[in-house]
Amino acid sequence: MIHLNNIDKYYDSKFQRTFVLKAVNLEIKDGEFVSIMGPSGSGKSTLLNIIGLLDTPSAGEYSLYDKSVLDLKEKAKVDYHRNFMGFIFQAYHLIEEMTVYENIETPLIYKGVKSKDRQAMVADLLDRFNMVAKKDLFPQQLSGGQQQLVGIARAIIGKPKLLLADEPTGNLQSVQGEMIMETLKALNDEGMTIIQVTHNEKFAGYGKRIIRLEDGIVRKDVKNV
Amino acid sequence: MMNYQIRLIFRNFRKNSSSFFINLIGLATGFACAILIFLWVADEMSVDKFHKTDKQLYQVLENQAMSQGILTQEYTPDLLARTLAAEFPEIKYAVAVSPARMFGNFTVSTDDNNLVKTAGQFAEPNFFKAFSYDLLQGNPEQVLSDNNAVVISRKLALSLFKTTENVIGKTFQWQIFSVKKNAVVSGIFEGTPANSTAQFDFVLSYSAWINLSEALGRNIHWGNHAPQTFLVLNEGVDVKKLNSEISDFIKTKQTGSNVSLFAVPYSHQYLHGNYSNGVESGGRIEYVRLFSLIAIFILLIAGINFINLATAKASKRFREIGVRKVVGSGRKALIVQFTGEAIILTFMAMVISILMVWFFMPQFNLITGKQLHLVLNAGFLLPIVGICLITGLLTGLYPALYLSGFNPLSILKGRPSRSSGEIWARKGLVVFQFGISVVLIASMIVVYRQVQFIHNKNLGYQKDHIIYFAKEGNIVPKLPTFMAEAKKIPGVANVSDISSSLVGNPSSTYGMNWEGKDPQANINFEVMRADVNLIETLNIELADGRSFSDKFSDENSKLIVNQAAIDVMGLKNPIGQIVSYNGQQKQIVGVVKNFHFQSLRQKVNPLTIIYDPNKTMTMMVKLKAGQEKQTIAELKSLYARFNPGFPFDYQFLDVAYQKLYEAEERVSALSKYFAGIGILISCLGLFGLAAYASEQRLKEIGIRKVNGAQITEVMVLLNSDFIKWVALSFAIATPIAWYIMNRWLESFAYRTTLSWWIFALSGVLALGIALLTVSWQSWKAATRNPVDALRNE
Ligand SMILES: Nc1ncnc2c1ncn2[C@@H]1O[C@H](COP(=O)(O)OP(=O)(O)O)[C@@H](O)[C@H]1O
Ligand SMILES: [Mg+2]
Repeated sequence: MIHLNNIDKYYDSKFQRTFVLKAVNLEIKDGEFVSIMGPSGSGKSTLLNIIGLLDTPSAGEYSLYDKSVLDLKEKAKVDYHRNFMGFIFQAYHLIEEMTVYENIETPLIYKGVKSKDRQAMVADLLDRFNMVAKKDLFPQQLSGGQQQLVGIARAIIGKPKLLLADEPTGNLQSVQGEMIMETLKALNDEGMTIIQVTHNEKFAGYGKRIIRLEDGIVRKDVKNV
Repeated sequence: MMNYQIRLIFRNFRKNSSSFFINLIGLATGFACAILIFLWVADEMSVDKFHKTDKQLYQVLENQAMSQGILTQEYTPDLLARTLAAEFPEIKYAVAVSPARMFGNFTVSTDDNNLVKTAGQFAEPNFFKAFSYDLLQGNPEQVLSDNNAVVISRKLALSLFKTTENVIGKTFQWQIFSVKKNAVVSGIFEGTPANSTAQFDFVLSYSAWINLSEALGRNIHWGNHAPQTFLVLNEGVDVKKLNSEISDFIKTKQTGSNVSLFAVPYSHQYLHGNYSNGVESGGRIEYVRLFSLIAIFILLIAGINFINLATAKASKRFREIGVRKVVGSGRKALIVQFTGEAIILTFMAMVISILMVWFFMPQFNLITGKQLHLVLNAGFLLPIVGICLITGLLTGLYPALYLSGFNPLSILKGRPSRSSGEIWARKGLVVFQFGISVVLIASMIVVYRQVQFIHNKNLGYQKDHIIYFAKEGNIVPKLPTFMAEAKKIPGVANVSDISSSLVGNPSSTYGMNWEGKDPQANINFEVMRADVNLIETLNIELADGRSFSDKFSDENSKLIVNQAAIDVMGLKNPIGQIVSYNGQQKQIVGVVKNFHFQSLRQKVNPLTIIYDPNKTMTMMVKLKAGQEKQTIAELKSLYARFNPGFPFDYQFLDVAYQKLYEAEERVSALSKYFAGIGILISCLGLFGLAAYASEQRLKEIGIRKVNGAQITEVMVLLNSDFIKWVALSFAIATPIAWYIMNRWLESFAYRTTLSWWIFALSGVLALGIALLTVSWQSWKAATRNPVDALRNE
């Protein structure tokens, strides 16, 4: 699915070039569950954002299903965001003015799904995450774990093939973190490709493959059995 | 989608109720102001335009070449209308009109002693064909053909006959000066609409006026300029060409005439009525332009503030935008969302503004002296919807395009930095708004001071405690008795009579001749006809000589002039000199100091006061202070003894004097409102900017406070940034305000001074208001718990 070839990411300041990612080669297949680990500042988020088309590499090639996705037009990018991938953030990034229900519904509106279908789809997910009773609450009225569940629900409501999660448990206590990881695992079992960034060894273990980054270089890339 | 957005807007509203409210009210105030001014302007533009002949309806004006320059005026020879119509095929028909304002009120009565005082005029037969005053009964071709015909308004019909049925053919009496005549009703018209310059309740046939001339000592010839002349031209007539043809028309009829003619569209004159030296030089159109400009400015400021506040709020929503983009919102969807929101908001503001207009309409009508109504028809609503859409689009498009253009990643990581252009735009806005506030405050003070100046100006006569009323009915033949009786009333200080009401337009002549006068020179003298005691009654100061008095027998051959007259005549020892007044030899017996019998806009003109009690029309009574009510009651019963059944209509001279400056009083009242609104809207704008600025610096403030900065220090930090810009705006605005007010004051020959302190005060006021507004926000920012601010990031 994902093919990264010799990806560099650097920032130029006045006198020097700082590399954030250096010669990253990566192949990720359909249905994988990848955990990216590494110390702070090692480039994990940058890598994830490049994969998520939120950032562009300074050099190298990136293709999705053998189609290069560098130099995409705005419209094509939006299309990928609508139909191909979903995002989960450490800070949840829910829209405060909107209820749980509306937050989950938003991507469907942008996709142009009809109102009736939207209702059914949101209801399904709420049911699955046991949040039917909370649907009219606002994000601030939920616990962190619940907010992140809403974040996941929003990320997957459009049935993306690829789910990108940047430290989804970073702000959560371990019990709640565990619940989130179980949810991700279940999604993966259903066939969704997932790439997560995490600091937590135990949570990284939910992945089927662990990649370790150090100073922008892939140090280890191992199957996790 | 719409539904969903409206819900979001209301949620936003509840969450940021105070700033939302301020924004809405600011825009609504701007809209309301603009709507009121728009209604006023539309009304001004509609004056006299309702005549069906409007495109062909012209009035003939005269340019009289005088030594002082060319004088433009509307009074023309009686014969002009009919002669022009006969000689020029371009003219469909012509009408001579002796307008109501020449006469004051007529006394109109029926046999059963139903007595009304009201305005009337004389007009030639084509009057109701040329002008569209709705004729309800009667044939427009014929109603004014008979000598004694009269067309009355529905209102007059109702008050004279209590009905409009079968009124045609009924007779009533009318009286003007000392003449009494009968007239037969030949038609009824609806009345004059509010947007008509001419206001009258009945129209008599012009031949009745011609027949009166002998009784009034009026000569009908080409040198006597009395009625107005109106033309209805055939379609397609080239007016320029016609004007060149009629220009010297009077000179061909009367050799040596200094008069040239030209025709202007009748409805053009209401707004463009001023002429200086024979050339059109504006008029009310200047107020129309000024107010339109103010409306546009207010709308612009309110709109810019709205956009500004909306964008400031939108930057708070950066994160939301980032999230939306990540979950798949394209730019288009964001643009639709933001513009949709803005348009809904502008419509809400518009609805509020219409309520405001509705609420303030009576007050506005009071100030402007209009009868404006809010009519929610297509002609009104369509432009309004247009304005809403435009404001909404502009408001929404900016944040939509600006914010949606960012990379979502940079938004989610933190706020993108502002462009320097945007920072300059906001500072420019502060300078612009406070500049306008300073101009408005300064203008308000200057206009107020000029109005005070007019009130307090020593006019050279005393206008207080003087009442005047028409010299009519039996007072005319028994004038000396009436005056003697009136003087016996203990509260009466003095009594006299005069040609006009003093305030306003006396007649004028250029028939003054004296030894040493340049025979080529045409010099205009204002003429006042007076009785004995006039100078004493008005306390006009004598510079030399004496006043008219009944101690002398031959006052008819004497006259009094003012100092301005002496100046133009260049006489060294005026008293005792013989001059010629319209061919009659008269001796100067007195010189009065210049007094303001005309508007303070004009320099005091040369004036001659002639003794002519037979032609005076107004009684003037000076009351003793303190017992006016009692005295007026006694005068009223004295009047009733002479004129039983006549209503006693009197006016105070000082009130009449104030009416002379109605326009200035209105401008003064309006300028207060405009200044208030200007300041209010500017403050709302500044309020928003300050809120925005402190929002931007929230983190900085937090860190400073954690490091020990005190509230006052933080406030100084935030305030000084704005005050700098307000000071700059003051520096820019002062010369502009000075220029505008200097120009306005120049329209007065007598005016207040433009002192430096007016501008200093305006600056201090604007600065103080700005400081208060900004401090409110800075205080809020400075007292916030720093931990909140830091956690927010
Ligand atoms: N706009 C930028 N300019 C310069 N350096 C940046 C920029 N954005 C990120 N970096 C640097 O890139 C490095 C990697 O960041 P990131 O991918 O967020 O690390 P991680 O997620 O592993 O903590 C950091 O050292 C950070 O300072
Ligand atoms: Mg990171």
